[in-house]
Amino acid sequence: MALKDTRLMADFLQQVVSGLASGGIYASLALALVLIYRATQVINFAQGEMAMFTTFIAWSLMNHFPYWVAFVLTLAIAFAGGAALELVLIRPVQNAPVLTIVIVTIGLLIGLNGLARRIWGSDPRRLESPFSTDPIRIGGVAFSIQDLGIIGVSLALVALLFGFFQYTKIGLGLRAAALNPAASRLVGVRVSLMLALGWGLAAVLGAVAGMMAAPPLGIFDQNLMQPILLYAFAAAVLGGIDSPLGAVVGGLLLGVIVNLAGTYVDFVGADLRLPVALVIILIVLLVRPAGLFGHEALRQRA
Amino acid sequence: MKARLISCVCVTAITVVAGAQARPDRGAADPGVTASTITIGGTVPLTGVAAAYASVGRGADAYFKYVNARGGVNGRKIEYKFLDDAYNPANTVQETRKLVQEEKVFAIFNSLGTEHNLAIRPFLNASKVPQVFAASGATTFGADYKQYPWTIGYLPSYVAEGVIYGKHLLKTRPGARVAVVYQNDDYGKDLIAGLKKGLGSSGKIVAQEGYEVTSTDVSSQISKLKSSGAKILLIAATPAHAIRAYIAVNKIGWKPQIVINQVAAATNTMKIAALSSGKVAEGSISINFLKDPADPRWRNDKGGKLYRQIFKQYGSGDVNDVYNVYAMAAAHTLVGALKRAGKTPTRDGLIKALTTLNETNNPFILPGIKVSTKPNDRFPIKQAQLQQWKQGRWVPFGPILNARG
Amino acid sequence: MKAPLALWAIRVALFAGAVTALAFLPRLLGTFRASQFALVAIYFVALLGLNVLTGYNGQISLGHGAFMAIGGYTTAILMSDQGLELAGHTFASDMRDIYTIPIAGLVAGAAGIAFGIPALRLSGLYLALATFAVAVALPSVLKKAETLTGGSSGINLFGVPRLTGLGVETTVLGHTISFNDWLYYLSWTVAVVLFAVAWLLLQGRFGRALRAIRDSELAAAASGVSLATYKTLAFGISAFYAGVAGSLFAVHTTFVNPDTFPITLSIFLLVGVVVGGLGSLSTLVFGAAFIVFLPDVAQRISKSPGAPAMIYAAVLIAAMFVLPTGVGGLVRRFVSPLTTRLYTRS
Repeated sequence: MALKDTRLMADFLQQVVSGLASGGIYASLALALVLIYRATQVINFAQGEMAMFTTFIAWSLMNHFPYWVAFVLTLAIAFAGGAALELVLIRPVQNAPVLTIVIVTIGLLIGLNGLARRIWGSDPRRLESPFSTDPIRIGGVAFSIQDLGIIGVSLALVALLFGFFQYTKIGLGLRAAALNPAASRLVGVRVSLMLALGWGLAAVLGAVAGMMAAPPLGIFDQNLMQPILLYAFAAAVLGGIDSPLGAVVGGLLLGVIVNLAGTYVDFVGADLRLPVALVIILIVLLVRPAGLFGHEALRQRA
Repeated sequence: MKARLISCVCVTAITVVAGAQARPDRGAADPGVTASTITIGGTVPLTGVAAAYASVGRGADAYFKYVNARGGVNGRKIEYKFLDDAYNPANTVQETRKLVQEEKVFAIFNSLGTEHNLAIRPFLNASKVPQVFAASGATTFGADYKQYPWTIGYLPSYVAEGVIYGKHLLKTRPGARVAVVYQNDDYGKDLIAGLKKGLGSSGKIVAQEGYEVTSTDVSSQISKLKSSGAKILLIAATPAHAIRAYIAVNKIGWKPQIVINQVAAATNTMKIAALSSGKVAEGSISINFLKDPADPRWRNDKGGKLYRQIFKQYGSGDVNDVYNVYAMAAAHTLVGALKRAGKTPTRDGLIKALTTLNETNNPFILPGIKVSTKPNDRFPIKQAQLQQWKQGRWVPFGPILNARG
Repeated sequence: MKAPLALWAIRVALFAGAVTALAFLPRLLGTFRASQFALVAIYFVALLGLNVLTGYNGQISLGHGAFMAIGGYTTAILMSDQGLELAGHTFASDMRDIYTIPIAGLVAGAAGIAFGIPALRLSGLYLALATFAVAVALPSVLKKAETLTGGSSGINLFGVPRLTGLGVETTVLGHTISFNDWLYYLSWTVAVVLFAVAWLLLQGRFGRALRAIRDSELAAAASGVSLATYKTLAFGISAFYAGVAGSLFAVHTTFVNPDTFPITLSIFLLVGVVVGGLGSLSTLVFGAAFIVFLPDVAQRISKSPGAPAMIYAAVLIAAMFVLPTGVGGLVRRFVSPLTTRLYTRS
């Protein structure tokens, strides 16, 4: 009897850790969404495809450079690319109605997917993982080293960003520009530069999400980030669309809930994992209409 | 409001432009046939979740270009229009209608997807347009010919494939407890039905877990299957999900005997699976009926060399992608049938030729496997061979088996 | 503000002109084009509905594809003779099957109201997510409810000869016309009628209330507009339109399954409504034409991998740069100096 209980407990812990790993990926992408939303009131539908694109770039780089060199190079390219996209695509329409800008991001989504197919073709390919796929035994339970590694990278990323936003001048400028562009300009913050930086940072977050998401899936192709974007969107709203902390907590929570529900609730099984997650979020929203950590929804720009 | 005036003007303008593109009817011969061309069409997922199958269209296209360069079919060049349906059956219906009613193709060839072919089958049969070599192993395409005489499949039926696995397990592991992870649509379910039939009364399916084609993770399903205590796992999936299944099995430290369905068992897929999942892939069993380009046996084989030559000249993508080989096999058979469809090919003639196939030397299919049909037997490929994954390649074993639908 | 007689005369004349042009269009087009234009009508109806909700009432919906699915499946279930237990109909006359279209609309409308009530608590992005969630979840739910919906195999409507004429020819009111022409006339008749209904609705008190809520909920409530009633009604009406569009779509495609209403449909509806112009009705035709024809045109220009998508994206982004308020916005800017003249003359 006791042995079965230990088995059950071990399985449960395995699932929780697995869930946290997926959750870490959702959290990274959710954070990217929140970053851009806070600054521009726009949901960047293309966040997932930007991440997918940088994952392909990483794949190409990893054919020539060792893993961590390629990793850092990809982040740099992602940052530059994100900022460039803001300047070229968003800046011209920044005074247009919000929905118009959203449609531009939808166009970007479609275009990036097509461009990635053009450059790399539609065949699935494998992305190297810096973590071994073997299990490691902690306290008698087998955990995947990869899962633990992903959790580690996600947390490190979040911690780095937190430090950046709290303790550096640029971080302060970004926060100010997002909160109150007019007043920030008055005190000398270069708001337009901050916008571009914000997009660059969001792209970096997406790049990390992509590079963490691809290896556990075995192979990846241009559809890599589409389901993850859905989860990230859900996580961001769950946490409160204008709260970075909410995005992280929301992502981790969502990953665990989805995994546990899928494994232990028979009705949910395979088909209904995402819908169940969304239903849970809807219920949360009914109780807390602004998400777990969000503030009262701000008036949308006319 | 003047808005409506503008709308009016623009609608008229669009009409004139669109009308100008409407094509005139083609005259007395069957549509799609002129003195110098035969036009055929089909739908393939070039984008979307199933874009990995795009090579089914490109491979056939490459083969037709090769044939055209050598004079075509009785002097006529084959024009193959394959359109993107993004794996959405609604698009399949619309694109197919466009091909039949606007492009006026001679036949619909090699459209991919079970639901997708089901969606267009009534329309094509009502319009008396041949639905040739539907790229799906669903048994209904070969079995329901009385109701749908214009339709014919190509792949060995999934049910028959399941039967082969069941019978093999019956022989080698009597009393086996089998777990199945399957794609939650007709594709997966056909395989399970076949497996049950083949296992008979000995051996049981003790657990089955489905997944959605749009999902990216099968770990919870694999977890559940492991706790059923089964010692054999059938993976009835498409390549991406098969790889993820292997990874999940390895992650939880399970070591079942794995049977993997043919569609997901291409060598390049298995190589990735093996790389990412420790030793779990070793010993996997599957069936095969094509000459896998990554198999060294066909390097110096006439058919293998032909494949590489055609691919190099007219193909695109990955030369080791076995869907290219599948496409060329089907295209080769079609060309043979077109040659017998009448001096000026007719649709009736094509159907007659397609129901009297007797191809023994298709360069892309395993030696010993025939492509044959009769008017009351519409399963062109009814044979396959078992193979086992050993140290980085598929090793065939046993005789060529029957895979009747 | 009552418009002068001259303005009304112009409006009626233009409307009549448009209807006449539509009636004669199939003569000029090939048969396949007729079915494509029918699809434009179908999307036009859906966009009308979405615009009522998003353009006129400010509630963003990313899930109208789900309401289309509800309408489409309702029609399919009622009409199919495939042995589904729920279908209890026998049809004796030529036209009876099309009565499922308003029924489909009502079912979808009911769903819209059912959704609109809890949605009152949500605003902006949270509402968008909620609608998004419904659209994403619905295919899986449809697959699960196999006995009702046929699961992942869906329902094939081809076996309803009176409606689909086996896709080739059909008999309507005693005349034999091609299926594509039948689709065209059916869809455009419905579209014109529903357009008129929407226009009338939005002209009067209902429209004013909706717009007041969009511009400032606080002010609207202070003026005595019942937020709950109008917002929920907007959802219901909007879903009704989408349901009718979905029903026509099912007839058009003669096949429904969960994958025929994917999330991309909802996204394209949003694209169509923005391109057509939020807050205007007739220019939504352009939005619908955009959705139907652009993918085609892109594929015609180039079929090489990824190229159609890139072309589509480029055109879409350019359209947003040039016309940030959609075609409707452009027309309004163009037209308002002219109409102000018309108004001040009286």
